[in-house]
Amino acid sequence: MATSTYLSNPTFTCNSVDLSDQCRSATLSVKYDALESTAFGSTSRVYTAGLGDHELNVTLLMSYSATETYATLAALVGTATTVILKPSSSATSATNPSFTLTGTFLETLPVIDAKYGELSEIDITFKGGVYTVATA
Amino acid sequence: MKYTIISDKIGVVGEKFVPGEGINIEALLAHGFIVSDEIVNDTTAPKSAKTKALPKKD
Repeated sequence: MATSTYLSNPTFTCNSVDLSDQCRSATLSVKYDALESTAFGSTSRVYTAGLGDHELNVTLLMSYSATETYATLAALVGTATTVILKPSSSATSATNPSFTLTGTFLETLPVIDAKYGELSEIDITFKGGVYTVATA
Repeated sequence: MKYTIISDKIGVVGEKFVPGEGINIEALLAHGFIVSDEIVNDTTAPKSAKTKALPKKD
């Protein structure tokens, strides 16, 4: 039985900045437009991959300290950057692949999300970019 | 252009930073993650303003 339990090891790097210690969850969805290629003679609908439309959703603890969450993201909103996700902080390998979105766009940055008595968290989404996987 | 790391969030402080593809250098410079090694020469004296010759009177 194969399972993955995430406790403390995953790493999240945004624009070269390691934000793993502020990251609470991350979901990278690899998606391609499904272009229908059904033609005469087909007995079922068939599709072929179109443009990639990948997306990374991240929940981060908000920190306004130097070189933390806000400092990393403030200048990135409205621009494209590179983000990297790894299941574990150990060396990249076939069993610890490194997932990268290059040229992914940060459309929105909630600069403050304050709830009385709670740690501040923000949810951000990186849209698009070129998806690559490294195993070495 | 060469850069030096000044925050341990992106590597070992003092080492050279080699930006990967798609990295937004301006954001890292603006928020104190790296510094540029390029020396800015601001000692050059500014040029004096050019003055036009007065038109001759007839």
